[in-house]
Amino acid sequence: MSFRTIIRFLSLGFFIFLLWMTTFPLKGWFPVDFFLRLDPLIFLGTVISSRQLITALIPGLLILLLTLVLGRFFCGYICPMGITLDVTDKVFGPGKNNNTKLSAQKHAVMRNIKYLVLLFILGTCLLGISSVFLASPLSLVTRFYGLVLYPGLVFMGEGFLTLVMPLSSALGVSFLTYAELEPYRFATQWFILLFFAAVFALAYYSPRFWCRYLCPSGALMALFSRNPVVGRKVSEACTDCSICQKKCPMDAIDSDPTRTSHHECIACETCVRVCPEQAVNFGIGEKKSGRVTGYLPARRQVLASLAAGAGSALLIQTGISSVKSEFIPGNILPSSLIRPPGALPEESFLGRCIRCGQCMKVCPTNTLQPVWLDGGLGGIFSPKVLPRRGPCDPLCNACGMVCPSGALRSLPLAEKMWAKIGTSYIIPFKCLAWEWKRECLVCYEVCPYAALELKRVDGNPVPVPYVIHHKCSGCGACEYHCPVQAGSAIVVEPMESLRMSKGSYIDKGRAIGLDLEADPDRQRRPPGHLFDGDDPGDLPPGFSS
Amino acid sequence: MFPAYAGADSYPHISIAKGGLEEATKAAVSTLGGMKVFVSQGDKVVIKPNMSFAHPPERATNTHPEVVRALSEMCIEAGAASVMVLDNPLQGAELCLERSGIQEACRLVPQTSVHAFSSSRFFREVRLDQGKNMRQASVMQDVLEADVLIAAPVAKSHSATGVSLSMKGMMGLIRDRGIMHRRYNLSSAIVDLCTLLRADLTVIDATRVLSSHGPYGPGEVISARTIIASRDMVAADAKTVEMFPWYGRDIRPDQVAHIREAHERGLGRMDLENLETRTVTA
Repeated sequence: MSFRTIIRFLSLGFFIFLLWMTTFPLKGWFPVDFFLRLDPLIFLGTVISSRQLITALIPGLLILLLTLVLGRFFCGYICPMGITLDVTDKVFGPGKNNNTKLSAQKHAVMRNIKYLVLLFILGTCLLGISSVFLASPLSLVTRFYGLVLYPGLVFMGEGFLTLVMPLSSALGVSFLTYAELEPYRFATQWFILLFFAAVFALAYYSPRFWCRYLCPSGALMALFSRNPVVGRKVSEACTDCSICQKKCPMDAIDSDPTRTSHHECIACETCVRVCPEQAVNFGIGEKKSGRVTGYLPARRQVLASLAAGAGSALLIQTGISSVKSEFIPGNILPSSLIRPPGALPEESFLGRCIRCGQCMKVCPTNTLQPVWLDGGLGGIFSPKVLPRRGPCDPLCNACGMVCPSGALRSLPLAEKMWAKIGTSYIIPFKCLAWEWKRECLVCYEVCPYAALELKRVDGNPVPVPYVIHHKCSGCGACEYHCPVQAGSAIVVEPMESLRMSKGSYIDKGRAIGLDLEADPDRQRRPPGHLFDGDDPGDLPPGFSS
Repeated sequence: MFPAYAGADSYPHISIAKGGLEEATKAAVSTLGGMKVFVSQGDKVVIKPNMSFAHPPERATNTHPEVVRALSEMCIEAGAASVMVLDNPLQGAELCLERSGIQEACRLVPQTSVHAFSSSRFFREVRLDQGKNMRQASVMQDVLEADVLIAAPVAKSHSATGVSLSMKGMMGLIRDRGIMHRRYNLSSAIVDLCTLLRADLTVIDATRVLSSHGPYGPGEVISARTIIASRDMVAADAKTVEMFPWYGRDIRPDQVAHIREAHERGLGRMDLENLETRTVTA
């Protein structure tokens, strides 16, 4: 096994390990968003769209600077997307002796597409809309592993446990019999899967099709690796056999094999290994003679791509689904779009969120889901709270802790409990107590903030629930546990959510009259309002005469 | 009409023991004749405590871990082949097992395991032949296979059913509780369920009583240092209702709809004045 293979699989393994560690409660010994922070496009795009230097993303800048020295080593050795494609290329690729099905001319034209993708994305970022998520390889691959492969594996694991249960319980292997995997489910997984199926299938035309022709991070690094310090060198021993040119997975070698397109080269050293004359090596030194100047998109294409990106961003911002802002009259706020606690104000949030899915992967109740079009075209794959799937646990602040870009603020637990995400309301004509006069009151039981109160109303033998608005955090425990089928009889909407770029949620919450401490030892209101203590006929809740 | 044992031997219908957690639990059971009366050599035992909330013992929403441990130790001493402590939790299973303290307390008891689960593969759909309205339920497979079922609830109030004691606690052994709220009259459905899930022994943990704002709390917790045990779930529940104030007020057992209906349907007795109760101090 070559050094490169070892590094690659260590990198992919570490990526998967960190994603697996992205689980509540967080261990905290290593940033689980490590790989996301290495992506240069995530750095550049997010800094432009948020108009802020996000220090957590600086590793991406460092990778870019290292590219000046080492070339596109990131693509060949570290990027989990690239390594994943190396694996899937074995299945979908063009076969052993056929490096590519594309002609040299086509290749020369198509490899510019990635620059146009990059420019399009930067164009949207210029207008404050981040489309980094569309094509950033780390955002894509994290989403794919976290939201498609991971739940699939868990599902298979549960299936396996069910399958072996008769055997394991007969043999008394208790830990296997009673193991229960948390069943994760995510929205939009078909769209993510279809995208990846297409990317994998493109290997039919050439290996690493994505990296060669489409990857905007690759394009960004290509701009910095036109003449790296360490690069491919060919000695006098070369016999022009062109094996290296045929085997190069990036088509970075000219028809004259001594000449290299360094900006395409991912330093994988395949050429070194396949050269029968051992004429190729990577090192420091004079390479200029062997350098292919490379091809850059024409000025017209550059401007057109930037303009297309900026124009798309403009259109998104003028769409009806766009978020409420000073520029848009009216009061449109999608009722189902409950953002996670600590989410920045919507416009800043969308500018920063790279849709990697880490917050959804880590969420212990699986309430965080990728949205499809609920938040307009600009909101695709961003997280929302889906209370019917699970409540937001007051004692968990993991989503903010794993967010690499700060779209969700990293909050201490005390602050997080005050980061109100919405307010619930009761639909009386669905409520078992209000409409059906049944003893239910599950919402009252499960509310961790004691934000539900029981009251007597005339003509109803059972007490009915009321929401105390200033105590409701919008966590959704009531909506999740409501036994009414289909739509819940108590529903959370993002009304009165606290969306702050900076400052304390506790201070702000207190200032506007909220009372959100989910303190388990706090007493509820005395029950005096529920029944008349002096009237023997008036009984406490649940009792009947 | 009522089970044959009633008054048939020298043991009382209901035993009440006051004192420390472990001592009172053991005393309450031995007053009924000891665990051997209920558990035979090689039996599979299921204990159903309250451990469906990720709360510590002082909240009084879960059964005290020491009570559960004492019971499982007694079962093993009486010759049980295995003891399973089971509940279908309302909050995350792992958190419930951890914060209730029950898993840790039973860790060293031999042949004893503590599980909280909700996956469908642990449940089996069964008919409730004696059910009046609810005629079927998905019950934990391990409960259906058990030889002995022990109800070990904590004494607490409940917003919908007045109290949550041994009968209400049986809801923790089925998969879909929502349907009991949604489709049926909850109190009546509890009685239907208890026609099948009829505990052989009921041990109510009233060492702390959550006397208001149950089942979740926080509410008023009365320190009572009491264990109430009976062969008859209805009698144990009725006695517990009678012994403590609920929301600061005296309540009669017949003011709890599911206790009243269970008595009327012959599942057990709430006519405490006709039952023999023995109180011991441990």
